[in-house]
Amino acid sequence: MHCEMLLSEYHEKLPIYEKMKTVVLDLLRNCLDKNNILVSGLEARVKSEQSLIGKLELKGNKYHTLEDITDILGARIITYYSDEVDIISALAEKMFEIDWANSVDKRKMLEIDRFGYMSLHYICRIPETLYKDPELPQLNQMHFELQMRSTLQHVWANMYHYIGYKSDVEIPIEYQRNMSRLAGILELADEQFNRIRKDVNNYRRNVQSMVASGNFDEVPLNGDTFRSFLKLNPFRNLVDKIAAINQGEVYEDSLMPYYNVLLHMEMKTIGDIVRMINENKESAYQLALLQLAGTGLDIVAYSVALQNLCIVTILKKGYGEAGLMRLFDALYGENEYHKQRAKRIVEQAQKINLI
Amino acid sequence: MKVTINKQNEKTLVVLDGRIDSTNADQFQQDIASLMEGEKPDIDIDCTNMTYTSSQGLRVFLLLQKSVMARDGKMVLRNMNPRVKEVFDITGFSNIITII
Repeated sequence: MHCEMLLSEYHEKLPIYEKMKTVVLDLLRNCLDKNNILVSGLEARVKSEQSLIGKLELKGNKYHTLEDITDILGARIITYYSDEVDIISALAEKMFEIDWANSVDKRKMLEIDRFGYMSLHYICRIPETLYKDPELPQLNQMHFELQMRSTLQHVWANMYHYIGYKSDVEIPIEYQRNMSRLAGILELADEQFNRIRKDVNNYRRNVQSMVASGNFDEVPLNGDTFRSFLKLNPFRNLVDKIAAINQGEVYEDSLMPYYNVLLHMEMKTIGDIVRMINENKESAYQLALLQLAGTGLDIVAYSVALQNLCIVTILKKGYGEAGLMRLFDALYGENEYHKQRAKRIVEQAQKINLI
Repeated sequence: MKVTINKQNEKTLVVLDGRIDSTNADQFQQDIASLMEGEKPDIDIDCTNMTYTSSQGLRVFLLLQKSVMARDGKMVLRNMNPRVKEVFDITGFSNIITII
């Protein structure tokens, strides 16, 4: 009889829980976006009737009203890194009213020599200052559960639930032990991911300061260093000069497609690119002058400067039409037109005594 | 400049005929206005009979390309004659717009 009353209350409040689910997801999504936090998962569900019946069969006497069941609405944030769980929980504490008496940090419940379920569970309410619907005042009175855990903690919890759920009998102790061992391994992996991220961030900061210091010969060419180098606007003078041929403007496109091209051109350091600019900028400009003067074309892409520098470098190294075709194929994919284009550029290069 | 637009399932096929210059670039932009709408556009532009484009034409292509990218779509220009292709190459626009 008591369970039937709880089920009846559940059906009555189901539309409010569904509405609350949408509100909670929106609030969490906005909060994560605002704080530039990428997560691997954000999800919410309202407990199904079947699942509630199962819970009531097991622990029905424990609950006096539906409000005593705090996970009718459950939301979950799955982070990439385990240390982000604390950041997310701090944000959740600022956003929601937390029922501390019923919230649990499962990470701290395990003994130091035990491994298992690691997740942070907050029982929350939406304060009126955050969201208010005059037609649904209950929305600010009802609780929901917010779970926060890392991707690896999530994997373990899912597998544990799945194996346990599928079994008709309790998992024997030796298999429980294997699950605990796996939890220990995943906890170590989580720590390693945190450390790797920290090391990579430190490396990026070092690279940026090396590029900024101007010791270009000491900076190896890779995706990060090239990106940092581009922030120094190294092709600005040349592209502005090229645009000025027809008193034109420059459209700022990305130069990242040239990163692989520069590697193929055997550039090993940022210093190699700086040398290419210094040694070939005049020839690159002369080529542009020959091509653009008199055309009236008064808009050029920023990349045209690096394009012409690569063309000139390839020709000066003696790679000829074949080298140019390889450049165009690398940039734009194979195209039969590239042969004609390479031939025409070689003719133009001869006119300005480039080769 | 004549612009023909045909919608075929999810793809939009566009055929350009003639030259784009300062005298008709505004009209060209109006003619392709419908391509600036809708989600995830998939636009295929046949340039076989496009004889020339000035920088005004390049700006319209750039506008369209930016609009397509903002809507998570794709756009290709195909069968361009070498004279027109050279305009895209020497301005660096081949780096911005996919030409096959």
